[in-house]
Amino acid sequence: MYRFDYTDLAGGMLLFLIGAGVSLVSVGNYPLGTLPRMGPGMFPAILGVVLAALGVSLAIQALRRTGSRPDVRFFSPLFVLGGVMAFALTIVPFGLIPAIVSIVVISSLAELRIRPVSLVLLCIALSLMAPLVFVVGLGLPIPLIRWPF
Amino acid sequence: MEFLGNIGLGFSVALSFTNIFYCFLGALLGTFVGVIPGLGVLAAISMLFPLTFHLEPTTALIMLAGIWYGTTYGGSTASILLNLPGTPANAVTCLDGFPMARQGRGGVALFMTTVASFFGASFGIILLTLFTPVIAEYALRFGSAEYFALMLMGLVAASTISEGSAIKGLSMMVLGIIIGLIGMDSQTATARFTFGSLGLLEGVSLIALAMGVFGVAEIIMSVRRVKATDIDPDSVRLKAIKPTRDDVRRSWMPMLRGSTMGSFFGTLPGTGPSIAAFLSYAVEKRLSKTPERFGKGAIEGIMAPEAANNSADQTAFIPTLSLGVPGSATMALMLGALMIHGIAPGPTLISDEPELFWGLIMSFWVGNIILLILNIPLIGVWVRMLTIPYNLLYPSVLMFICIGAYTASFSPLNVWMVFAFGALGYAMRIFRFPGAPLLLGFVLGPLMEEHFRRAMLLGRGDFMTFFDRPISAVIMALTGLILLWSIWGSEGVRKRRTDRAPSAGTDHDPTEKASET
Repeated sequence: MYRFDYTDLAGGMLLFLIGAGVSLVSVGNYPLGTLPRMGPGMFPAILGVVLAALGVSLAIQALRRTGSRPDVRFFSPLFVLGGVMAFALTIVPFGLIPAIVSIVVISSLAELRIRPVSLVLLCIALSLMAPLVFVVGLGLPIPLIRWPF
Repeated sequence: MEFLGNIGLGFSVALSFTNIFYCFLGALLGTFVGVIPGLGVLAAISMLFPLTFHLEPTTALIMLAGIWYGTTYGGSTASILLNLPGTPANAVTCLDGFPMARQGRGGVALFMTTVASFFGASFGIILLTLFTPVIAEYALRFGSAEYFALMLMGLVAASTISEGSAIKGLSMMVLGIIIGLIGMDSQTATARFTFGSLGLLEGVSLIALAMGVFGVAEIIMSVRRVKATDIDPDSVRLKAIKPTRDDVRRSWMPMLRGSTMGSFFGTLPGTGPSIAAFLSYAVEKRLSKTPERFGKGAIEGIMAPEAANNSADQTAFIPTLSLGVPGSATMALMLGALMIHGIAPGPTLISDEPELFWGLIMSFWVGNIILLILNIPLIGVWVRMLTIPYNLLYPSVLMFICIGAYTASFSPLNVWMVFAFGALGYAMRIFRFPGAPLLLGFVLGPLMEEHFRRAMLLGRGDFMTFFDRPISAVIMALTGLILLWSIWGSEGVRKRRTDRAPSAGTDHDPTEKASET
């Protein structure tokens, strides 16, 4: 239990920063135009101000109430997102099957417990199933395996 | 006669072999996802969304819609047998469904909720068939000012009504609109917020956004939390599914009232099936002469909500198809599927694409009949699905998400976007920001900007143009009322809550999850 709702305070400040950033980029880089003939910068500039204002009011509300500690995890997002990243890095140079194996192995680590047998079986099953669905079934041109060097 | 001709046209489309097949696939997958907790309907739809690139738009929509209403059928199974709501819309079914199962009446409960679901869905489909063309015809008169006002109202209502904090909902809506503006401006061809990336010129991919914010973030939240369920084989063995005469007598009126309420709340932006189910349960309890039976296995307590959530599933299509204004994130994805195929949503949809519109609606009959037939004999299979350990399930889902994103444009950029939106989605969960308004804002953002610019051009730069035209003025006034009411309401609720329980943010208010539908 905290004196203020720090979660919302931080969330509101983040929204303020994003909104202010969007407005500054729009005003600085894109023509604003006039109200009857709006340029590409006008609408995002308005939205940025609105977002920043909402962020400020969220932060002010957060100061008027107590808050609880948010449930933040470190390893779950690390390994799940790491798996997605590994897929993005491997799919083009190495092909589908290495990409599948890397995403399955890395994201499985988020369990914080390695079950080698079931992991190997899962990799084999998915490496068979995915090409069947996408390459054979839908006829999509994805190379299964590739060696870039 | 034109009406009958349209119905005939619809059935001729819906009953083609391909469409029946994809309708079946959607309904089956929907039921599967509905049964399994920790896999939401949005995650399922966004997982199959890339498939829709390779299908006819009508077939694609038929499949996506099948997933949508299939989850509501499937969700009731898990609610009744295991006291685990598969989807938020079925949460209230647990209250009386699970006690029924423990009294050995699980079979009756499953059978009767299937009947209620079918009844509610039929009610919704009939209203959808009757009203959508009428509303669309009326809306043909709308100009840009009316459209902007309507979209604004839809977004504001959806962001404020179902969520805990109105400000958080609204800020996610604005952020969604901003993300929707990334890419080439359609009127001046200026590249906005692309930071030099050529791939971003086409804008952010809807699939990557939906899969990241809903799919990946949901997985991060569920890892090491969702456990495979131990099922007592006795609770699943269905001794009898035949309802007694008393059950049938008690079920009629709740079913009818549930369908009516569900149909109403289904059409409104921001309410949807979960709220419809909760309210209809409350109404039945209030009307009942024996309210003490509720919570102990009263059949009224499962019939009304299951009829309500299914009719709401169907009527949610009314504003989506007649006005092009979706009321929930799922409906926004449906519109997205249309737009990807170059079909402009709006009141002209019915006259421009009659095969699509009538085919889709008539496919709802096909899908609901498939579900009616599938549900009872396959209960054993669905329940066994619950024993799939999550540690095998989530890497598979993640793999499908990534392959789907990649094949949408055969570029790893989409997978990187899934990565970025997965991170954003997780951050949003930590800060307790809702995801649905973000997706709605993203889909409607570019359209809103276009109508806003056009309305301002026609109004010679005067904001009063939105208040001079009568229809748009009424809609803007309603939007203002919703805003005032929600800000006042959420402040009041929060005060009362913090007075009562100090841990206001962490309690599990069922309406908080309503956004997921």
